[in-house]
Formats: sequence, C-alpha cells, structure tokens
Amino acid sequence: MTTATAKTPAGAGQAQARTSLGRLRPRRNPWRHPWFLEGFTWLYLVWSLVPVALAVLFSFNNGRSQSVWQGFSWRWYFADPVNSVLHDPNLHAAVVQTIRLSVYVTLITVPLGVAFALGINRWRGKTASSANFLMILSFVIPELIFGVAMFFVFTKLFKPIGLGTLAEVLALVTWNVSWPALIVQARLVTIGREYEEAAADLGAAPWQVAYRVLWPLLRPAIFASAVLVFSGVIDDFVLVDLLSSNSGNTPMSVYIYSQQRGGNGGPALNALGTIMLVMTFIIAIIGYIGYRFMTRGERGGRLEALTTIAGGEG
Amino acid sequence: MAPGQERVGRGRRNRPKEPHRLFWAALAAPGIIWLALLFVVPFYAILAIAGGQVDLFGVPVAAWNPLHWSSANYSAAWHDVTGASSFVGPIILRTLVYVALASLISLLIAYPAAYFVARFAGRRKALFLILLIAPFWISYMMRMLAWIDLLQTNGYVNKALSLLHLIGQPVNWLGGLGFTVVLGLVYGYIPYLILVLYAGLDRIDPAMIEAGRDLGLGRVRTFVHVTLPLSRQAILTGMLITVLPMLGDYFTNQLLSGTSGTTMFGNVINDQLSSSGGVLQGEGAVFSMLFLLVLIAPMIYYVLATSRSSRGAT
Amino acid sequence: MHPREGWTEDRRAGGLSRRGFLTQGAAAGLLAAGGGSLLAGCSSGATTTSGTHAAGGIPLPRPNHPVTWPVSKDNPAIKSGLAPEQNATLRLFNWVAYINPDCLKAFGKKYNCKVEVTTFQNMDAALAKLRSGQLNFDVFFPTVDVMAQLVYGKLIQPLNHSYIPNISQAWPDFTNPFYDGKWHYTVPYTIYTTGIAWRKDHVPENPYTMANPWAMPWQAKYKNRVAILDDARESISLGLMKNGNFNLNTTNPNQINAAGKSLQDLAHLTNVHIDNNDYTLIPSGQIWIHHAWSGDIAAAQYYMPKGVNVDVIGYWFPPDGRGPVANDTIAVLNGAPNPVLAHLFLNYMLDFNNAMTNISFNGYMQPINGVTPQRLVKEQILPPSLMSTAVLPSYFRRGVMQLQIPVATNALWQQAWLQAKSA
Repeated sequence: MTTATAKTPAGAGQAQARTSLGRLRPRRNPWRHPWFLEGFTWLYLVWSLVPVALAVLFSFNNGRSQSVWQGFSWRWYFADPVNSVLHDPNLHAAVVQTIRLSVYVTLITVPLGVAFALGINRWRGKTASSANFLMILSFVIPELIFGVAMFFVFTKLFKPIGLGTLAEVLALVTWNVSWPALIVQARLVTIGREYEEAAADLGAAPWQVAYRVLWPLLRPAIFASAVLVFSGVIDDFVLVDLLSSNSGNTPMSVYIYSQQRGGNGGPALNALGTIMLVMTFIIAIIGYIGYRFMTRGERGGRLEALTTIAGGEG
Repeated sequence: MAPGQERVGRGRRNRPKEPHRLFWAALAAPGIIWLALLFVVPFYAILAIAGGQVDLFGVPVAAWNPLHWSSANYSAAWHDVTGASSFVGPIILRTLVYVALASLISLLIAYPAAYFVARFAGRRKALFLILLIAPFWISYMMRMLAWIDLLQTNGYVNKALSLLHLIGQPVNWLGGLGFTVVLGLVYGYIPYLILVLYAGLDRIDPAMIEAGRDLGLGRVRTFVHVTLPLSRQAILTGMLITVLPMLGDYFTNQLLSGTSGTTMFGNVINDQLSSSGGVLQGEGAVFSMLFLLVLIAPMIYYVLATSRSSRGAT
Repeated sequence: MHPREGWTEDRRAGGLSRRGFLTQGAAAGLLAAGGGSLLAGCSSGATTTSGTHAAGGIPLPRPNHPVTWPVSKDNPAIKSGLAPEQNATLRLFNWVAYINPDCLKAFGKKYNCKVEVTTFQNMDAALAKLRSGQLNFDVFFPTVDVMAQLVYGKLIQPLNHSYIPNISQAWPDFTNPFYDGKWHYTVPYTIYTTGIAWRKDHVPENPYTMANPWAMPWQAKYKNRVAILDDARESISLGLMKNGNFNLNTTNPNQINAAGKSLQDLAHLTNVHIDNNDYTLIPSGQIWIHHAWSGDIAAAQYYMPKGVNVDVIGYWFPPDGRGPVANDTIAVLNGAPNPVLAHLFLNYMLDFNNAMTNISFNGYMQPINGVTPQRLVKEQILPPSLMSTAVLPSYFRRGVMQLQIPVATNALWQQAWLQAKSA
C-alpha cells in the first residue's frame, strides 16, 4: 500500500510510515528538510555574528567612528604612524601576551582536565566525588573573588611566584580546568563502558584502552573544550588585570575592557580583533589539515572526518 | 548495571572494585593536586579575608589564623540582607527572575539550532560549525561594544525596527531596561550552550529516531519520547554552564544598563570588592561565600545526576 | 602666614551657620578621637598645624590643616648632579589614556630613552600592586588623597628639587601645597572640577539661574536621561551638596546617610544612570544631564556626531568657585630603576609647551602659568562655549576638595554608596 500524498518531495528516500487503510489523507513527508529549523538557525547566526562583521568592517574605517563609514583605509593596521597596530608598541605587547597566555593555558589545561575527568569518572569513591565537587566549585565561583583571592595568595603566601605571566597562567589554568573536565565527563557518560570492556576482554592494558579506545571517542569533546579554553583566555580580563605587573604582560582583553571604562583605544582595537580572528581561523584550518593528515588511515569519507572533529560518532 | 556486577543486598557497598583503580587515580592525581594547591588555598584566602579586618589605611588584611577571625563582616552582611536598611532582598529576587528568563530563552534558541546542525546540516555541517564557533574567536567585550553601538537611541536597531514599522518611536534600549539586560545575558552565554548541546545531540543514534518512527510516532512525539530523553545529559550540562555563571554575572548589567533598577547580585559583590579603599572587601568575601552556599544544592544535584547516569549508561 | 590659614571648608557669609557648627564639631570630635599623639606630631614625624588626624595618628591634610610629610633616612632623595641613565626604559604607572603619547615620544627622543606606560583603572588596585613590591615602575600619578599611604608605606621617594626647575612655571600654590608641604614628594599634574554638564538643546533650564543648581538632576521629567558618576566620593558629595552640606569630607553619619537617601530618590525619580562615560554620553545625546568632570567635557568636541555643534553642550561649575576641585600629582616611586630620568620627566611635564600638548590630548587642564581659558580657546583646544571647564587659580583656592577621610568614615561613605547603587 502506498500513501496518497501527491506532493512527496524528491529527496525523501526513506519509506513512508504506514498508515492504516482508511486514512488516506495526504501526509507530509516526515523526513523532509526542516526549512523552518534552518531559517531559525540562520537567524540565530546573523544575530550572533552581526557585531563581529561590524567590528571587522569598521576596523577598515578611515575615521574614529564605529558607526559612520568614513571611507576605506588601512590606517589602523599600519598606515597611522602613531595609533596603528603596527606602530603602537603597547598593542604589540598586548597581542603577543594574549597569544602567549592562550597557548600556554590551553596546552596545560586540556590534558590536565581530560586526565582529571577520566580519572574521576573511572575511579569512583568518596575522594573522587569530592574532587569532582571541587572542580565544579571552581567553575561557579565568581571570577572577581577568585581573582582577589589569587592576588592575596600570590603576593602574601606564594611570594616567589609574585605577579606577572606565571601568576596569570596559573590562575587561568585553575579557572579554566573545569571546561575540559565537565565536557569530557559529559561525553564519557554518553559513551558508556562497553567499548572499554570489550577491549579489556580482548586483553588490553588500561593505558592501551585509554589510548586506542577512549582517545578517538573523546577527540570531539577534547577539541570542543580546547576551543572553549582558548577563547576563555582571550576574553578574560578580570584575572589578568589583577595579576599583571607591567604593560609587557597585559593582554588585549584588558585594553578592550578599559576602552569601555574610559580609555580610547578606538578602531585600532577593532583592527586587533580582526587580526586575532583571522589568525585563529588560520590556526583552526592548519589544525584541521594536520588532523586529517594524522588520521588519514583511519577514516572513510571526508564527511566522516568533519563530523568526527565536530563531534559525531568516532 | 553492567554485566558481571552482582547485586548483593545494599549493592553499593559490596560492589566489586573497579579494576586498575590505581591507573585511574594516577590520571586524576595531577588535577587533584593542582586544585588543592591553586583552588583550595585561595578558597581559604577568601575565608581569611571574610574573617579579617582593615588596617590603618583601610586596606583589608587577611586573617590567616582561624582563631583570629572576626565576625564584623558577617554581621555587616547580615544587616545588608535583613535589618533596617536592607537592600539585598529585591536584588536577589530580580537576579533569579532574570536568570530564569535568560536560561529559558537561551534553551529555546539554542536547542533548535544545535539540533538542526547536529542532524540536518549534512554536507554543510563544517560551515555551520565554523559559524557557531566564530563568536569565541572575537572577544566577548568587542561584540558587546558593537551591540551597544547598535542599540543607541539613534542606532541601527531602532532605525531597522522603525523601517519595519515594528515600533512607533525609537526605544531607549540602553536606558535601564530589564529586557535589554536579559537579552544581553542570553547573548553572552548562548554560544557555550549551543556547543554543549551540539556535542550531546550529535551523539544521538539516528537509528533510535528511526525506531521511534517505525513504531508509529509522529515527528513531535518522536522528539518528546526519544530525542529529548536522550539529550538529557547534554541539557543538564548545558544548564549547569549557563545558569550558574549567569547568577554571578555583573558586567552585562554594567554594560547594557548602568542604572540601579536592574542591579544583579553579582553587581553587589563586585561593588563591594572594588570599593574604594577596599573597606568593603571583607563583606564582598562574605557575600561570595553566601552565593556559593546557595549554589551547592544544584551542584550536588549535577554531580549525582551525572554519576547516576554514567553507571546506568547504555 | 599661610594663604589658607584659618580657612574652613564651609565658608558662609555671616559667620558659622548651624551646619558649619556641626561640621566643626565633627572635626573636633575627630581630633579627640585621634589619640594622645596629636600635638607631638603624631610620632610619625609629620608636622601639621593643629593637625586633623585619623585614629592611629595618620595626618589628614586639609586646606586649613596642611601637612608636611617626613623624609626618613632610609628613603633619601637621590643626589644632585647625576647624569640621566643611558639606554633606559622609563616606566610610567598611570591612569588609562591620561597622558599624550606624543609627549612621551618627544621625551624619549630628547633624553634618548624608551618610555613605557602601564595603566590602572582604580587607585586601590594600583596601590595594592605597588605594595606587593613586585613592580619596577619609575613614575606614578597619584591623587592627593592617598599621600599618607604612599609616604608611610615608603612607596614613593622624596624629590631632589635641583632636577625640577620648571616648578617655577606651575602656579605658586604648588611649591607648598597643603597636601605635601614644601613639595617634598610630588609635583602637580592635572587639575579639574566636578560640575554638571547638560544639553542645551534638550534641557531649557539654565543652572546658572537656579536656586540650587546641584539639584538639577532631580527632575522626573528627564527620566532615563540623567546620569551621575560611578564614584562613591563624587556622587555622595553630589548628594551632600544638594542638601546644602559643603564639607565633602564629613564624618557625620546623618549627613552621609541623607546624601545616600537623596541618591536613592534620584534613582526612583529618574532611573538614573551610573557611569563614567560622560565624555561620550553627553555628546551623543543619550544623556541630557550628567554629573561630570571638567576634563571629560572639555574634550567633548571630539565625540560630537556629525552635524551637531559642540555648543549645545554646557558645563556648570559654581561661579563663586565653591565646588569640588581636585588635582592629580606625579611622584617618583621608591626603588625606581631610573630615578634621574624620572625627575627629568617630572620637570618635562611642568613645561608650558609640553603641558599644552598634553592638554590637547587629555582635555584635563594643568596648573601651569599661562594656561588660561583664553589661551586654550585661542589654541583651539577648548571651544568658547566650554570655557567654564577650565580651572582658575581662584577655584583651586576656594574650592571644596574630596580628601582622605578616616577608615571608619570611609566605610560609612562606601556603604551609603553601595545602597544607592542597588536601590
């Protein structure tokens, strides 16, 4: 029996759900493409990204205004001899410090957090749960009080550390370790134990299980948490402001924040933001190509790889 | 329960030990040590500040020895909450309302978008993911500054809305509207929610959904009975990373409103911690502790829910 | 006789009013609470004339109670006649966007060194960092109300005046200011007033003709269009002045709480904004009445949108000069790696031409001879309609200043402000 729909869209490859004999009213294809959802998603993306587009656009503005187009120019990138990104040494230092912090912190936080999540999830017991609780506490604590406490700790207790890049890195790692820990834990919950148990049954040692079974399954979660940590560090201004000691270790975020509170960094900051955007984009592409190269024996089609990175099944 | 697990009376205590516990404990150890040194110690510093006093110049002095803790800050905080000149009550209420609204709206926007990208994006999944992640690469502050520019009374938002005849007169968005603050909260936290939801929804096996259809469920009922329960963990984690930080948020209100009619609890803590001369820092520490205390219940719920579901995961 | 001998903050024609009596009484109470070490110079070496002290003997400088800070042997000034350091980087620790980069470049060229600025956004955070001893800055830009902490905390070093001949270009008051007798530690930087800025095109009232101009923001018809500064001292002072109290360092809890209450009323009446963005909000027309700093409004012409002329903006400060006046200073930090260059930098900023260059960037006036409102208008740094933002020497001498107050009083102020902000 077939259904009586006259308007079955061409893409519907799946069989229609069977209807009972008497009900021949036309039904729409339940596997049709959800245009409404797609439109909704695009609407969200526009809302989310319009300011980004504007910031990029106005970084090429020939004047100081953020809303009135005054002509195209490279002024804020390199043409202006005093205020451009190229010529302002404070902005250089800021970019360098932002990248330095982001890279160091991500490189430390992600392995730390992933190992923590794995260990806590498998270890069980009171200690593990308390450690887990502590980690979540580190996530919900208001950042300002944490920063103030860190300031006290580094200037009164752990004096040799003092203020500066090391203090910033330590505080940022502690602040961000909850991202990988939470995301990987959530992922572990949905993965379940059967793959590991299968591997163990086949005689794998625990480290082999971790490397060959868990690691590929967790790659998407690890990647997602790395993105979150990286961007969290770029954005953070509370901790670094409290723990910086001179303009050499003040990152971009503090400049941007002070712009809102009375500074006049102006369009050069937009230029800086655009540069950061382009750079992270390039890094992501390099990362993707590198990943594909490294896993070239392991996958099927191109889509498989993309969905693996993005979070699909391993 | 996983196969092989014996049910003996009160199952938990007599459960066979997890094999290779030492390995997992070793994995978790670096994270635990890190948290102990760099989170527990500063946490103690907060207690020390709360129990401390100010010196001659008004600079807060932390009292490291518990025997020297004073209750001055605690009683001052108590007076702020109850007492003749209390003002914190309405603020707490307002914060709860804003956060509830903002998280609801966030979920209503994020879930469909994440669902679409996870299940229907097909070949364009990579494109959508890049667009979803793009906000992370340009600083939150710069996006908000761009929005503030758009929301000026003579800015483009009002212009667009009057062009579409949706408003009669230009709306003063930045004039202290709770509406703007709630939307600002949504805007700031939704990228995180979408990413987490995506990671969770992507995990759902399409076969499950097909099974639901085969059993005769319509689209909506499949969603309610199959997809929603499977995405429970993702929603839980997503709510955790959204609601809890929102409760402590202060800069959204600062940026988008700046009037006392929309102050949130985070603003109170922030004002105390950055009070001139540091005289109110001790009270700020007390309020932060109060804040954490309130959040303990949801955190414990999350920890229990996560460990329960991982033990019962398929 | 000291020019400010015998002055009180609350000068009313016709002798002491009841309020004046109360504030005098409060000051006397303060003296009594100061402990037994008053007349002995507080055992800290500072000399004051019938000093005003906080509990514990910290002298509180007032225009009628000047303080000369002690110079201790373990923190001496540098020797005279030294050569400037070579291949050095002079490090400044300053507020955000508070000094013209052109000045810095020119200084670097003149003395063959690099100049680096690190910024801070509030004085307490800056002091906390300085106290940690972890920084290696040379020059600091303190406000005058933290002198006690800087001197007793040994954070700044006394100046060797032989390197700073340009002091003669500054207003004569500054060779012996009340907050730093005999300019042992500081030279003046900027000087500014706090007044009320308004948009003439939206607000027909003229504060110059009002009975109580400080009450101008308290008008319900300007709902959502009023703003006050996000600064505890400034805004509570606004409340005080609106209520007729002109002792901006009052310790009287009733006055302080009444001021806080007035601010809460303001919030209910007008849904008042609390921010420090007067320099953009008034020009853009988002706000029509803003409690403002003179330097911010002076720079308004750079933030006007297209087609709107800067003379729609007005800035009111009491014509008799009795409103909040303040000045910032420059000091050399203790342990500065380049003290000679630091001294030369202080000297450099006191020069008339450099001051004019700085003002053109900053908007904030400097108390240098020759920097008059007329000159600023002539150099097109200031539009004629905003001449009221310039500070006259008479304002400085007659104005009421927000100075250091005892710790317990500060707690009262901060608490009142916290409540006003959260109303």
